[in-house]
Amino acid sequence: MAAGVAAWLPFARAAAIGWMPVASAPMPTLPADNRQKQEGLIAINVSGHKFQTWRNTLERYPDTLLGSTEREFFYHEETNEYFFDRDPDIFRHILNFYRTGKLHYPRQECISAYDEELAFFGIIPEIIGDCCYEEYKDRRRENQERIQDDEDSENQNEMVPPDMTFRETMWRAFENPHTSTMALVFYYVTGFFIAVSVMANVVETVPCGTLPNRVKEVSCGERYALAFFCLDTACVMIFTVEYLLRLMAAPSRWNFIKSVMSVIDVVAIMPYYIGLVMTDNEDVSGAFVTLRVFRVFRIFKFSRHSAGLRILGYTLKSCASELGFLLFSLTMAIIIFATVMFYAEKGSTASKFTSIPAAFWYTIVTMTTLGYGDMVPKTIVGKIVGSVCSLSGVLVIALPVPVIVSNFSRIYHQSQRAEKRRAQKASKAAGQALVCKANPMFDTHHNHLLHCLEKTTNHEFVDEQAFETSLLEVSMVKQASCSSSMSSSSSNQGLSCCSRRNKRKNFNVPNCNMTGGHRNSIQELSTIHIRERHIANSRSNLNAKFEETVPLNCEHPYITAAVITLPTPPVTTPEEDASFLDYSQANIVRVSAL
Amino acid sequence: MGALMVIFSLQKDQRRKRTDSVEDELELSAVRHRPEGLEQLEALTRFNRKELQILYRGFKNECPSGVVNEDTFKDIYSQFFPQGDASKYAHFLFNAFDTNKDGSVSFEDFVMGLSILLRGSVQEKLNWAFNLYDINKDGYITKEEMLDIMKAIYDMMGKCTYPLVKDDTPRQHVELFFQKMDKNKDGVVTIDEFIDCCQNDENIMRSMQLFENVI
Repeated sequence: MAAGVAAWLPFARAAAIGWMPVASAPMPTLPADNRQKQEGLIAINVSGHKFQTWRNTLERYPDTLLGSTEREFFYHEETNEYFFDRDPDIFRHILNFYRTGKLHYPRQECISAYDEELAFFGIIPEIIGDCCYEEYKDRRRENQERIQDDEDSENQNEMVPPDMTFRETMWRAFENPHTSTMALVFYYVTGFFIAVSVMANVVETVPCGTLPNRVKEVSCGERYALAFFCLDTACVMIFTVEYLLRLMAAPSRWNFIKSVMSVIDVVAIMPYYIGLVMTDNEDVSGAFVTLRVFRVFRIFKFSRHSAGLRILGYTLKSCASELGFLLFSLTMAIIIFATVMFYAEKGSTASKFTSIPAAFWYTIVTMTTLGYGDMVPKTIVGKIVGSVCSLSGVLVIALPVPVIVSNFSRIYHQSQRAEKRRAQKASKAAGQALVCKANPMFDTHHNHLLHCLEKTTNHEFVDEQAFETSLLEVSMVKQASCSSSMSSSSSNQGLSCCSRRNKRKNFNVPNCNMTGGHRNSIQELSTIHIRERHIANSRSNLNAKFEETVPLNCEHPYITAAVITLPTPPVTTPEEDASFLDYSQANIVRVSAL
Repeated sequence: MGALMVIFSLQKDQRRKRTDSVEDELELSAVRHRPEGLEQLEALTRFNRKELQILYRGFKNECPSGVVNEDTFKDIYSQFFPQGDASKYAHFLFNAFDTNKDGSVSFEDFVMGLSILLRGSVQEKLNWAFNLYDINKDGYITKEEMLDIMKAIYDMMGKCTYPLVKDDTPRQHVELFFQKMDKNKDGVVTIDEFIDCCQNDENIMRSMQLFENVI
């Protein structure tokens, strides 16, 4: 609740007089008002700048320096003021916090100076208002990063702690090639062999002139088969060794095997081994050839060496839905235009558009503005359709691309910001939970006001959790035999009484002690021994105080509450408290005797 | 063509200026509201100078413009009853405080109402309560009016109550009220019946004195 609204509490309490004639129960008594009623100005001198405020303003936050007795340490008798040798510009914001309840962060101030002042005056930064919180956290993070960078660059010149195991050293070498010369060498060697292997795959297929006894041209792969085979073997051996080493060094082998890079590695070297195993059988050689295609995946091994490739992969993954949409819309357009084209060209002679699937090829080529020219419409309608197709193709393809780009940019920044805010919210909530101490006197009076409302309506406030658990229990206990002996109360009431007996926090449950001997008629029956009931909003503490300050007719003030909750006895004339309680206690007894 | 455009834009400007000036007037009038002097208020109410100062500071904090309109009033009052919906009861309260029916509660209205509630005689307080319940100010509290008030009060409790507030709980409560207050059983409660009955009820008398030292 805003600090300012506290000033309206007297009004709210005065307005409560409107409930009095309607209330059917006596009101609770006032809490003891031992406030000192000190209404005075406090003069604060911060390095020569004079500030003044009401004493009450400062005391709104009793757990800070200015709001507690800690300020007495800074009291200066000669000038009758409190003197602080701190920054007056920042103090202005701190004093405003007391006045308005909101702490602001001035953008022109240095973040560490501000933090120091906050720490000095005992204010937790998490209560900075929403308007300034993001800025504050950003600046703070930048500052931390700067400090961290400074420390890191110091660390880098130091020696690595020598107590790392060989396995850890190896893993570190694999992941950060810059850490040692061996790692760097390894990095470059593998990179070189990946390049060599890919080049070899490419060159293999180049035609290399004719063999003396053959007419056809042969590819280099066939001509220098042995050389290529040796090269391939060498590369695959290096890759295998690298993979096994990484597997050995990985801190978590299962995670490593699951990772994308490991899959790529395996796929890159598998074809070779499969080829070794398979013989020169005619049937399987076709499949073998297909397998060699997978060797091109070796090029993806470069993504360990290139951050850009990794970012591209992430982009595609994150824009998968947009790409899917692009594909879907293209497919729709292709089908539509192919169909129209087919029927348009059906009439013309020697038309290449033999079927709709055949027209697919034309549509794709036209929409992507390739225009090979192997299929061309001849009729006028066909030509018109073809032109519409190419125009729409430009649009359909050009539109999602910026969307994907902007999507990527948005997703990227959003995820950064969402993570930032999530982290901030967690710490902010944690900080606020510590801080939310309103004026205790305000709380007392506010609770008394709420209590008056409860008495007016004969119902009590219940916090959400207890409410929900009691609802659950009503449904559970409904099957129990509880309801059968409920003569006077409706099933809902009685059941909630039952559940109340079992589940209410801090009830001195199920067993029945006699309450002090003033109910003689029901001695042989059990009763609910109700001690102080603890409501989440701490009103019970006040009730405990009530017991001391005001002698009520009954020893257990909350028994009246329990009693009143039974609807049937019309509680219009509560003069005779004893008989009243007697009657209703009897009711309670009937409930609990089950 | 150009002349037409110029004329058109001029007209728009004029219209805008007119509406601007009307808005400005409203704003100025809202901003300009200042309460009567301390001396007059001291004479009108039963508060002393210091208490009036405290009250005004709190008032001005929430309503820098000097008057409370109904929405702000509902907002402020709702903050004291977070579990339920206090807007209907706040509406009735607002009408009770807004004695001159101009749609806003000025500091004078506020302080005069508080003076009755906190420092008035029992007769005055009961009068005020009757005025609150009598929604159409015709001198009689009918069952419908009482039902509205009762529902507004129960709304403030919210739904997380023990026991659950059933649909006819307000109605039952109204029946009880009428049984007690309506002596001649004519279906309405007049001011005399109300005051008589309350003065004979110890609990009500006691609770009326409850908030006397609130400031």
